[in-house]
Amino acid sequence: MKNNVLELRSLRKKFGALKATDDVSLEVEKGKIHALIGPNGAGKTTLISQIFGNLKPDSGDIFLDGKSITNTSVADRALLGIGRSFQISNVLMDFSVLENAIVAKISHSQETFRFFRPAFSDPSLIEGGFAILKRVGMEQMADRKVSDLAHGERRLLELALALAMEPLLVLLDEPMAGAGPEDTIFMTKVIAGLRGQTTILLIEHDMDVVFQLAERISVLVEGAVIASGTPDEISQNRLVREAYLGSDQ
Amino acid sequence: MVLDLFKKFTTLWIILIVLAFFPIFTSTFDLPFWNDVVMRIMLLGMAAMGLNIVFGFGGMVSFGHAAFMGVGAYCAGISQYYGLDNGWYQLLMSAVSCGILGILIGFLALRTSGIYFIMITLAFAQMLYFFFVSLEEFGGDDGLIMDRSDFIFFDLYEPLRLYYLIFFILATVSIMLMLLIRSRFGVILQAIKSNESRVEAMGLNPLKFKLTGYVISAIICGLSGCLFASWQEFVSPDIMHWTRSGDLMIIIILGGLTYLAGPLVGAIVFLLLEELLPDLLHVLFPPISENWMIIFGPLLIAVVLFGKGGLMGVMGSKLKTAANREKT
Amino acid sequence: MVTHTRKTVSFKLIVLRLLALELTPTTYNIKLNFILVAENMTSTLLLEQIFNGLQAGITLFLIAAGLTLILGIMDFVFLAHGSQVMIGAYAAAAITIATNNFYFGILAAIPITFVCGYLLEWLIIRHLYGRDHMDQVLATFGLILFFNEAIRIGFGPAALFTNFPSSLSGFIEILPDTPYPVYRILIILVGLLCALGIHLFVSRTRVGAMVRAGASNPEMTAALGINVKILFRFIFAAGATFAGLAGMMIGPLTSVEPGMGEPLLILSLVVIIIGGIGSVRGAFIAAILIGLVDTVGRVMLPMLFKTFMSVSTADTAGPALASMSVYILMAVVLVFKPTGLFPPKGA
Repeated sequence: MKNNVLELRSLRKKFGALKATDDVSLEVEKGKIHALIGPNGAGKTTLISQIFGNLKPDSGDIFLDGKSITNTSVADRALLGIGRSFQISNVLMDFSVLENAIVAKISHSQETFRFFRPAFSDPSLIEGGFAILKRVGMEQMADRKVSDLAHGERRLLELALALAMEPLLVLLDEPMAGAGPEDTIFMTKVIAGLRGQTTILLIEHDMDVVFQLAERISVLVEGAVIASGTPDEISQNRLVREAYLGSDQ
Repeated sequence: MVLDLFKKFTTLWIILIVLAFFPIFTSTFDLPFWNDVVMRIMLLGMAAMGLNIVFGFGGMVSFGHAAFMGVGAYCAGISQYYGLDNGWYQLLMSAVSCGILGILIGFLALRTSGIYFIMITLAFAQMLYFFFVSLEEFGGDDGLIMDRSDFIFFDLYEPLRLYYLIFFILATVSIMLMLLIRSRFGVILQAIKSNESRVEAMGLNPLKFKLTGYVISAIICGLSGCLFASWQEFVSPDIMHWTRSGDLMIIIILGGLTYLAGPLVGAIVFLLLEELLPDLLHVLFPPISENWMIIFGPLLIAVVLFGKGGLMGVMGSKLKTAANREKT
Repeated sequence: MVTHTRKTVSFKLIVLRLLALELTPTTYNIKLNFILVAENMTSTLLLEQIFNGLQAGITLFLIAAGLTLILGIMDFVFLAHGSQVMIGAYAAAAITIATNNFYFGILAAIPITFVCGYLLEWLIIRHLYGRDHMDQVLATFGLILFFNEAIRIGFGPAALFTNFPSSLSGFIEILPDTPYPVYRILIILVGLLCALGIHLFVSRTRVGAMVRAGASNPEMTAALGINVKILFRFIFAAGATFAGLAGMMIGPLTSVEPGMGEPLLILSLVVIIIGGIGSVRGAFIAAILIGLVDTVGRVMLPMLFKTFMSVSTADTAGPALASMSVYILMAVVLVFKPTGLFPPKGA
């Protein structure tokens, strides 16, 4: 039995007549970086949302590390070990960078209903917060207000928060979206550095990044997985080339 | 720790200290009338601070909180009607009833958001209003006259005893809120206001926190209502009309939504205007001296259009030192 | 006076059959009360209450129609809609009193309300689109305060009493032996006409199509290049006019006073929640429903309560529960259909 952190079985989701997720089955091995690619509108974000819990599938099952999470809430899935970075930066805008990390740390500590001690001056929380920021090299920006951050910096914070709870599975939904070339290189390095430490399911359009990072690639077209394999297998797969990469790859 | 709290919430502390010594000022200059005004400021301010937990810090627009004030007031009135004069007991009853009511209403309402949340809180407020109107036994529409409750150590008919009782409870609530707002719970609540889905993604269930905040705010409003009944020596359903919730919101916005002292500052401004504006208008523009309220409409609109910092925001931007950043 | 028509007698029989004839003292008394109540509840009274309910419902519809579009299309929580009702009522009342002509009062007040709505949108409301609901709630609450106070300044705090003209103060027999005020029938007819007009406009004209598009997908509508600003202004002003019309018509029936709009606003909000935000059809059905529940309930519930409570308790508990019933209805609908009974497609 392979060591799968994530397993999707026959997932289906329809919006009216549109088959957003068409009988998708997928396995993500532990420690690997698994990329999900496909043309726009293929249903990648919809799939991620179902894994994350924002969206309920019409039918099918989702297993995290062997346990069924199909009916678990978003918050509980996060506690079980799923982290997510959103396509559009979803951070706490009114807080500082460090404060964002601290809130994640509070949740991780499971001691949330505390009413008396100040949170942001708690040394253990501050330490934990810095550790989270260090993972993506953001410690210097700790005191900056998120609303003042540049776009690329916000994407980095988004990534940091996805990793904050030391998750079993990290869902990265287009982490490079809108980032400039320098930020992209930096983030690619950070993600590559996570290889082996955690399992990553990555949605990305930038093919260079995908082929740099991914050990396995699944291709989603019109809601269905048309191919799954190593980067080499995928780049040579005729179906994929026709549907997506174009014959000049 | 205390010094830290003082630095963070300077304005609130200053107001509390002024309130503590205010009666000395009024007795020196023989202006006992103003004690009455300030008691009302404290009561309204306390209720507004309670509402602000969910309104300013939690981002929930609840029209139901005047109803909690009303329930607290009726706890006092109805208890006295049946001979239970003990003020402390009435306070306890108010806290417990509003707590239970808060759990029930919050549990149902907090599953929704946006206009639906507003409407559900409004609906519950209306239901409670009509319920109390229908209680013929306790005066219905006309209300119930009562005496000031017996607070055992405090004979509320002695001058200033009621003042200091109210002050004591206000100060306690204020200090509790100072701690709460910076605590893990308070931080999470504000994070939910900032970005609920991110908080969820971090593994926290927003409903639990919003509900807890809602219940705490309900209890505070209830306590305020209970004391209000004693102060007014009268209880009627008018206390819980939905427009009273709107009044609380005005007070909060005037003072500053995201500041702990905001509601209290707003209450001071609101009630001072209520006292002084009619006389001022009488001098300047007699025809409308009765209708000074007309100022509030445009004032509110202006505050909304041009920034919700309120008075505290205006003051805060003028003072540059970090110690005056009262927002966590 | 109790008239024993055939309907009443059969009602009594049904009542007797439904209640098994156990003749213990208390149950006998209760049943006796019930029968007496049933007797008093003649078909005349019931019919009259049903028509009152229809009239109340149609009035609510005129107010709710604008509100549902404003909330559905512009995503704007417009609490001051009740003030539009008040403005209409006062405009008509003032002109009627000044010119001693009711019809002229209404005809002149209609354009006045339209202009008021138009100006309000142009000066204040449009700056608040896209703001979060809290801001809109606070600002429109401020408008309520302003309008109420302004009316007090202009007309005094006491209610204005106007009467309907003698030509409309008669009764007609809607059924044999069932006289009903002409004026209320007129309100129902005018309301139905307006409802028909709105329906035809929304479903048959181009502008109406834009409105429908806006109701189910505001962003798309803007993206299609339709002049959203003017569309919004028009919807707002039209909604204000219908609300004002409602106010004008019910003026003679109730008291025209500051704050008269707020209770109607709350009911209208309940109407649009139940009907489905953005749906005019939903608003119509929900408005009639609520009008009936509220009106008929106010009369029926005390009667029902009198069967097992003292008269005085029943007289307050009845209306109180009737008022609550509207909200309970809303809560029930929200549990089963969170977006209302007839949400616009695509919402």
